[in-house]
Amino acid sequence: MKHRNRLHLATPWCVIPMLLIASIVFNSCTALKEAQQRREKRILEERNTNTLMLKPSNATIEIREDALFGESDHYTIKFAEDLHEHPNFDEVPERKEFTRSALGYMESLYDAMYKLFGFQPKHKIHVTLHDAYRNNRHAAFTRTEYRSGMLDGRYVRFITNIHMDFPMQMYEKHGVRVHELTHAFTNIYYIPVWFSEGLAVLIQTEYAQGGLHPKFDSLQGNLNIDLNGVNQLESWGGHTENSPLTQWRYRYSYTLVSQLREKYGHDFYIRVFELMDADGLHQKLAESMETSFLVYYFSKAAGEDLVPFFKRLHFTVRKLTKEDILKHIEMNTKRRQ
Amino acid sequence: MRAKFNIHRIFTSLLLGLMCLCYGCVIGQKWTQNYTLLPGVTANDPALIDNDLETIGQSQRKKGSGSPITDLEIPSEAIIHLPEKKSVYRIIIHATNLEEFEVQAFNSRGEWDKIYDRRKNTERIIDIRLSKVVTTAGIKVVVRRTTEDAALRRKNIQLDRENTETADGLRRGRYVYHLKGPTTALAKIAEIELYGYATAAND
Repeated sequence: MKHRNRLHLATPWCVIPMLLIASIVFNSCTALKEAQQRREKRILEERNTNTLMLKPSNATIEIREDALFGESDHYTIKFAEDLHEHPNFDEVPERKEFTRSALGYMESLYDAMYKLFGFQPKHKIHVTLHDAYRNNRHAAFTRTEYRSGMLDGRYVRFITNIHMDFPMQMYEKHGVRVHELTHAFTNIYYIPVWFSEGLAVLIQTEYAQGGLHPKFDSLQGNLNIDLNGVNQLESWGGHTENSPLTQWRYRYSYTLVSQLREKYGHDFYIRVFELMDADGLHQKLAESMETSFLVYYFSKAAGEDLVPFFKRLHFTVRKLTKEDILKHIEMNTKRRQ
Repeated sequence: MRAKFNIHRIFTSLLLGLMCLCYGCVIGQKWTQNYTLLPGVTANDPALIDNDLETIGQSQRKKGSGSPITDLEIPSEAIIHLPEKKSVYRIIIHATNLEEFEVQAFNSRGEWDKIYDRRKNTERIIDIRLSKVVTTAGIKVVVRRTTEDAALRRKNIQLDRENTETADGLRRGRYVYHLKGPTTALAKIAEIELYGYATAAND
C-alpha cells in the first residue's frame, strides 16, 4: 500500500519533466524547421536575382502570311530588306518560327519591365530587325518620336511612335534587348541622354546580368570635363562613334545612376518617375530636359538637396523650385504664341 | 506432418507476383503533370516553358568579362526555376542542335549539382530518366557543344597576316588568328519538360 502511494506521488514528478523535455525538443524542432524554411526562402530569393527569369506571356501573336511582319499586344516586328536574302530567314517557316519566338520573348520581357517600373509606354513598340543597321552590326537603337504643339493655349509634347532597330547580332544578346526596352519605357519622360543611358546600363547589368560596362570605383576620381569645365556627360547627344569618350560616358553615367540608387534605395528612380508623372511638367518643356530639372525631382525623391552633389561633379545645375519651372514653361509658351 | 508442395500452385503464384510487380513498376507508373507548366515557373527564355513546340528558345551565355578571348570557354545555359521544390525523375528536352550537355539541379545550399550528362546526342527529343529522384527547385541545362559550333568557328575565327606598311611598301608579317565573335552557338530548345512520379498527393 505504501509502495503504491509512493508511485502515485512519483508519477507527476516524472511526467512533468518528461513533458517539459518533450516540449523543448518539439519547440526546438519547430524553430529549426522555421530557420530552415527561412534559409530556403533566402536562397530562392538570391537565386531569383542572379539571372533575369521570365514567365511565358499570354499575349496574342499574329503573323502575316509571308512572315515578314508580326504583331503582338505591345509590339510589331518586321524584317528589314537586308535580311530577306539571309540564309537563316529566306524561307517563310524560318521567319515564322523566329517571329513567334521573338514576340513571345519580348512580350514576357515587357511584362517583367512593367512590373519593375510600374508604368509603360502607351504606344506599341515597332521593332525592325536588320542584318546591319547604318552599316553597323554592333549597335541597336531606340527612337522615341514625339510631336509638339499648342493645346488649350499651352505647349505640350506627346509621343507618336517608338521604334527599335536591332542588327540580328545585337538582338541575339538578351542584355541588349533589356537595354533598349528600358529606353522605350523611360524615354516617355523625355529624360536627358546621360540619365537614359545610365539607367539602361544599370537595368541591363544589375537586373538582366548582361552588361559590359564596368562601374568606376569613384565618381570624383574619374571625372572627365570639357574645356568649359563642364562634365562631359552633359553634352552627350546619344549614340556616337565607339570612341574612348563614349565608353567613358556609358561607364560614368552607369556609376552615377547606380550610386544614387544605392544611397536612396532600390525604388529611387520609380519615385522620381512617379513625381514627374504627377506633375506632368516634362510634357510642357519646349526643349530637351535640363539636368537642373531632373535634379529637382531627384532631390524631391531623395528628401535632400542634390544640387551640391551634382555641382561637385561639374554639372551646370542650379537649385530650382516648382515656381521656377512653371515660370520657365510660361515664358516659353508666350514666346511660341 | 509432411507439407505437400504443389509445383503448379507455386508457379502460378510466382507468375501472378511477377505480373503485379511488372504492373506496379512499368504499366501502373504514372507521371505527374509537367512541372514547367505550373503557375510561377520562370525560365531565362520563356519559350522553354510556354507549352508551344513552335516557339524556339535559346540558351544564354553567362555574363562574362567582356573579352571574347577570356569568355571563349564560358558555356551557355538554359535555366528553369520552379516556385517550390519538386521531385524530378524524368526530363524531356526538345532541342534541334544540342550535341553535348549536362543537366544540373539547384540544391538546398543554393548551388548547382550535376545530375546527368550526355556526350554525344543525336536525338531531337531527349528523354532522360534519372537514376534517382532529384528533389529540386531549379533545373539548368549547361550546353557544352552544339551541331552549329563548327560553322560558327569557321565564320568567327579568321587567319590573317599582320602586315606592316614601311617606306619600301608593305612588309608581310606573321599569321595571327582574329576572333570576330563567339565560337560556340547557343542551343535551340523548343521546350523542357519535368516530371516526377505521380502519387495521391501530387497527381
